[in-house]
Parts: sequence; structure tokens; C-alpha cells
Amino acid sequence: MSPSDLVLGRVSEGVREPHPGRTTIDREPDYLHDEHTLRSWLGSTDHKRIGILYLLSITFFFIIGACAAGLIRLSLVVPNGQIFSNDTYNKLFTIHGVVMVWFFLIPSIPATFGNFIMPIMIGAKDVAFPRLNRTSWYIFMTGAFFTLFTVVVGGVDTGWTFYAPFSTTFSNTWVVPALIGVIVVGFSSILTGLNFIVTIHTMRAPGMTWFRMPIFVWTMYATSLIFLLATPVITIALILLVMERAFHIGVFDPALGGDPVLFEHLFWFYSHPAVYIMVLPGMGVISEIVPAFAQKKLFGYRFVAYASIGLASLTFFVWGHHMFVNGESETSAVVFSVLSFAVAVPSAVKVYNWTATIYKGSLKLDTPMLYAMGYIGLFVVGGLTGLFLATLAVDEHVHDTYFVVAHFHYIMVGGTALAFLGGLHYWWPKFTGRMYPEALGRLSAFFIFIGFNTTFFPQFLLGYLGMPRRYHNYPPEFQLLNILSSAGSVVLALGYLFPMFYLTWSLRYGKRAPANPWNAKGLEWTTSSPPPKHNFETPPTVDFEPYDYIAREDRV
Amino acid sequence: MSGTVAHLNTGPTAEVGLEREEHFTTDGQQIHAAKFGLWCWLLTELLLFAGLFLTALVLRIMHPQAVTEVAKHLKFWIGATNTAVLIVSSFTMSGAIELSRLGWQRGMVRCMLATAALGSLFLVLKGYEYYEDWDEHMMPFLSSRPYVLTQDPSSRLFTDLYYITTGLHGLHLLTGVSILLVMTWMASRPGFLGRRQNRIEIFGLYWHFIDLIWIIVFPVLYVLNR
Ligand code: HEM
Ligand SMILES: [Cu+2]
Repeated sequence: MSPSDLVLGRVSEGVREPHPGRTTIDREPDYLHDEHTLRSWLGSTDHKRIGILYLLSITFFFIIGACAAGLIRLSLVVPNGQIFSNDTYNKLFTIHGVVMVWFFLIPSIPATFGNFIMPIMIGAKDVAFPRLNRTSWYIFMTGAFFTLFTVVVGGVDTGWTFYAPFSTTFSNTWVVPALIGVIVVGFSSILTGLNFIVTIHTMRAPGMTWFRMPIFVWTMYATSLIFLLATPVITIALILLVMERAFHIGVFDPALGGDPVLFEHLFWFYSHPAVYIMVLPGMGVISEIVPAFAQKKLFGYRFVAYASIGLASLTFFVWGHHMFVNGESETSAVVFSVLSFAVAVPSAVKVYNWTATIYKGSLKLDTPMLYAMGYIGLFVVGGLTGLFLATLAVDEHVHDTYFVVAHFHYIMVGGTALAFLGGLHYWWPKFTGRMYPEALGRLSAFFIFIGFNTTFFPQFLLGYLGMPRRYHNYPPEFQLLNILSSAGSVVLALGYLFPMFYLTWSLRYGKRAPANPWNAKGLEWTTSSPPPKHNFETPPTVDFEPYDYIAREDRV
Repeated sequence: MSGTVAHLNTGPTAEVGLEREEHFTTDGQQIHAAKFGLWCWLLTELLLFAGLFLTALVLRIMHPQAVTEVAKHLKFWIGATNTAVLIVSSFTMSGAIELSRLGWQRGMVRCMLATAALGSLFLVLKGYEYYEDWDEHMMPFLSSRPYVLTQDPSSRLFTDLYYITTGLHGLHLLTGVSILLVMTWMASRPGFLGRRQNRIEIFGLYWHFIDLIWIIVFPVLYVLNR
């Protein structure tokens, strides 16, 4: 069987022609117009179509997670927890965390842009294992729906971290099905990571050497390494949870001979690296956008590439900073603290390099660039507060308070989600062949930036003043800051709704996009928008350096 | 590898080679990708077990006495026989690969069947071992059968790890045997080796890996501290 046999439902020539009766451009149909049936999408092995399937799916999950977040913020408007019962509140923040982390943030950039753009960037016709790629999407959807099903039947109240022994012994909710869903989704991550690593190793076009790869490809590589090396550990940890809860094979419950701290070790050995699954791809996107909109070579290309691999490696050695207050020995606490500080170095390298790229560039403040600049600002705040938390004495004070909540939202929502939206606008013309309305795009970026800061900055203060996380009632003196935060979340929600509408609108009414609307460099801009089925009319050969924008001095 | 496949096209009974998929430019690229992909997968499998091995080892170092007691209850001879069974099955699998390269389809199919039979033998012996464990009250998670060892938590944790590790390995073996049987059925059809010889090699790697995992499981659980 060749892959073309596998593309189900080949249709007749008449249906292939999008506008019968009209004269059409004499061109091979692009990947969007190759075939039109639902089957041709659901059975497709084309990495571009699979990227689009992921885009639709994670948008769906994002909406669900966002609704839960809205309800959480609604509940916290009053201090006495009158809006939802304790139980409902617990289920709300759990489903918010589970959906956002496992089904939105982790697959967001890798599975959508990684799938769509990465193979084009290296000049490949497809990923190395197209059918496996399709299978990964099906696995992802199966697992995610399995977990969502638990919400319909009654919900889960463990929080996204599933800490034992609460999850194994005390919770009376649907923990096992939720866990199974998350385990299944993990396999999809592993397979995607595997596919990307093999693709980057074996499918590069002639002349595409390692140091000619765009930074986005480097970050996909680093992210895939984490997928491959860390996911199996969370898989086994969650399997052990299922074993204990379902069959009483005790591993974590002390009453059954287990050790709950073991779960924390296994969990954070994955989940700290996982935060870099969320943040590295964002860095990759920013490293594409910034040079394109400064029309300048990325400053210190090699350092940015090394920093990606550096982050991916260091991130495996800091998990203990989540356990400072659980009785960890003083020595290990100090070691983990120092190592966590070390992570700041490669992170800072990236920020300096973006800043240096912007410096004296000919800036165009289009939507993707606005998102990118917002990203840099929020990432810096999130990263610096990470250093606060890595400081033993400070963490003692703010552990499990809203300070931590604010910290990781600055990184994950501020960072990853902004990078995601920036990338979505940047590559939208490539994905769809249409331009979006620029003015609305800029407006959405402003709304998100303002809304985001109004929502999460007060949470630093709340946490510092002592409001613990995961409670639905709090002392009345915290109400003002909570109302501010909830109000911000309304603005933020508007900022997210905007792009959903105008991007959908642009599918039909947007201007037709040229091959390279941003005058950007990189192979993806040398093929048509949208690209043909196998990405390039003629297979490319690479004889240029990455980001070879003309230096400012040489411009007339 | 690509070299071997290319110049052995005139095998004694069947043509050997592979059909290139659309998105690859050369045969070598396709073969490399497949092999490399499987190695990556094996790495993740190793890490899946690594958490268990590591916990078991830490437990041994911290609570040697309790662990020794459990280790004495494990059926050393069944474990040892199973180790031998799997090593032999790796041999027969290598035989299948070698014969597939030569194009000896019939011999290859026989070797594959032998491998599947040995794999099944392992599972049968393992099942018998579980039965014995049950008989000896060595299943702490069954409330109906009081656990024979002291209620020392670390011995209990070690016993639980034993079930999870061997169970997970058994599941891998079960999957391996199933895939092997389907593959044998496909590989016995005419023309298979001309288009898909590559798959036998790839599956062989997976099989050796299951063997390898057991070769780690056996000493970690049965032998050390005995
Ligand atoms: C760059 C990407 C980062 C992301 C996505 C991220 C994300 C997170 C998340 C999700 C949590 C909360 C986990 C929970 O639910 O309990 C967290 C906590 C923490 N983060 Fe980060 N983080 C990042 C960077 C950093 C850095 C650079 C440091 C240290 C230098 C750091 C130090 C910490 C510490 C110490 C905690 C634990 C706080 C506590 O629970 O007391 N983080 N981070
Ligand atoms: Cu961490």
C-alpha cells in the first residue's frame, strides 16, 4: 500500500474542481483543495491537514478550559464561596487545569505549527511517518474525550497534579477514567515527539544542515526530546496511581506500604520538563517572528540554538523545587535551588538575543510582532518570579499561594498562549491562503495584553499577602484584588474571542495571501500560500543561511 | 543495512527489498527513518521501566532485609527458565531476520512461529508462577488472602513492584506475540519479502528489546539480595 491508497474516498474530477464553469488558474490544487470530503480530512496523512485537525481540536479544548476558568473567577468574586459548593469548585479548577495543561498547552504549538510548518521549514515532503502522525491525532482525541467524559458523569476533584494519596485513597470522584485519558494522551505526545525527531534527522532537504535550520525547528527538536524522555515517566507514575486506586496495589499510600513522596518525584520529573514543552515552542515561534518584523538577522543564532538544547537538558534536574516544603532534605533543597537558578541563564540568553535583534531593526508593529513583544514582557515577569520561588526562604512563604498561580500563568498563558496567537497570525496566510484584518488583529493583541495583566498581576499581591490557592472562600480583605482579577478575565476572554471571529471571517472574505506577505525568510515562504500537497512544486535545495535578511547598513 | 538489502535481490526463493513510500527520496532514507524511529520508541520503553527499576533498587539499598525476604519467595527457577526461554526466542528471531535477508521465506516463517511459541511458553510459565504466588499468599492486594510476609511496608512495596513490573513486561510480550502472529501470516504470502522485508528487521529489534528488559527485570527482582 502506498500512502495515496490510504487516502480514503478519492472523488471524481468534477468535485475536485472548486468552481466548475469558471476559468481557473492552471495550477495543481493546493493541500486544502486537493479533496473536499470529510473523509479526505479524517483519513489524511498529510502533515498540513493533521496540523489543521489539531488546531481545531485544541481550540475546542481551549474553549472548554476557558469556560471553567471563567466560572472559577466568577466564584471568587465573593469571599464566602456562596456561588458554587466546595465540591463543585474543586471540580472546576481540576477540569480547568487538566484540560488546559494536558489537552491545550502541551499539544498547542508542537502539534499544530510543528506539524504544519516544521516539515516545510526543512524542505521535506512530509514527516517521516505520516500514518503514525494521523494515529497520534486519533490517540489524542480518544484520550481527551475519555477524560472529558468524566466531567459529564460527575467530575474529578484532585487538581491537575493528581497528588497521592488523595487521588488514590480519599477522593470519591472519577479519578481512574480521568487518569486513563491523560495516560492515553501521553502516548500521542510520545509518538509526535518521535516522529519529529526522526523527521528532523532524516528528512532535511539537500543543503539544510543543522545550523541552517530555523530556530523553530531547533525548539521542536528540543521539545520532542522532552516528549520522548519525560513522558514515559509520567505514564508509569499515572499507571501506578491507577493500579493503586483500582486494584489496591499500594505504591503511594503509606497504609499499603507505599510512599506519597515517590509520586511527587515521578510527577515533577515529568512535569517540570513539561513546562518547557510549553515554553520552548513558544520561544521558537518568537524567534521566527522577531527577525521577520525587524527585517534583521536573528542575533546570536547559534547561541539561541544551543540555549534550546541547554534548557531541554537542564530542565530535567530541577524537579525538586516543587518539593521544598514537603520534608525534602536541606542538601537536596539547596542543590535544587541552585540548579533552578541555572535555568535562568539559557532563558535570559534568549531574551537578550530577541532584544538585540529588535535593537536598530526596521520594526513593523504588525499583529504577530505585537504578540511577540507582549510575550517577551510576560515571559520576563514569569521567569523572574520563578527565581523568587526557587529561593528557599521566599518559597517557604509563598508556596501554594496565588503567587505560584500568578507565576505559572505568566509563563504559560502569558508566554505560551501569546506565542501561539502570534504564530497563528504569522502563519495564518500560509495555512489558509487568506490574510486576516490587520486592525482587528492589533486590537486583539492589546485586549489580551491588558486583560492578562489585570487578571494575573493582582494574584502576585494576593499570594504575597497570603491567599492560598485552591480555596473557594477567603478573608474579605482580599475581595478587592479578586474582583480586579475577575474583571480582567472578562477583558482577556474578549481578547480571545476576537481572533476566533475575525480569523473565521477571513477564511471566506479575507484578501488572498501572496506566497510571502511578510517579506520573511525561510523555506516555508518560498512555496505558495497555501502550499501544494507535497509542499513544494520542485523539491528545494538550501544554499542560504537562516534569517539572511539584508543587514541594515547595506540597505539603500 | 541498505547495502545488504539492495544487492541480495536475487535470493534463493523470493525477491528481497522494499517498496519506497511517496515522501521519501531514497531507499536508504526510508530504512534509516524506520530504524531510528524504532530506537527512539525503545528508548521511551526503557524509561517506562526505568522508574520501576530505580524504585526497586532504592528499596533494596534502604531496606535490604525486607527485600531479601520477598526475594526468597519469588520462584527463582521459573524466572531463570523464562530467561533462557526468551534468550532462545531471540535466537530464533535473529534466524528469521537472517533468512528474510536471504529470501528464504519458508524458513523465515518457521523461525517466526518458533519465536511466537517460545514467547507463549514464557507467558504460560509466568501465569503458573502467579498461580503459585497466589497459593503461597504472596498477593498483598488480595484482602481475601492474608499476606504471608510481615506487615513490613517495604516488603509489601517491593512485592507490589514485582507484580507491576512483571505484569507490564508480560503485557509487552503479549503484544509482541500478537503482532508476530499477524506478521507471520502476512509474511507467508507471496511477494511479501520483495516489498516489506524491512518490517521483519524492525520487529526483530522490538523482540530483542522485550528480551533485554527481562534480562534486567530478572536480576533486579529475583537475584540481588537473595
Ligand atoms: C519557563 C517556563 C516555566 C513554566 C512554564 C513554569 C511553570 C510552573 C508551574 C505550572 C508551576 C506550578 C505547579 C503547580 O501546579 O504546583 C510552577 C511552580 C514553580 N516554578 Fe515555575 N515555570 C517556569 C519557569 C520557572 C523557572 C525559571 C523557575 C526557577 C528559576 C521556576 C520555579 C518554580 C518553582 C520553585 C515553583 C514551585 C513553587 C511552589 O509550589 O512553591 N519556574 N512553575
Ligand atoms: Cu518546576
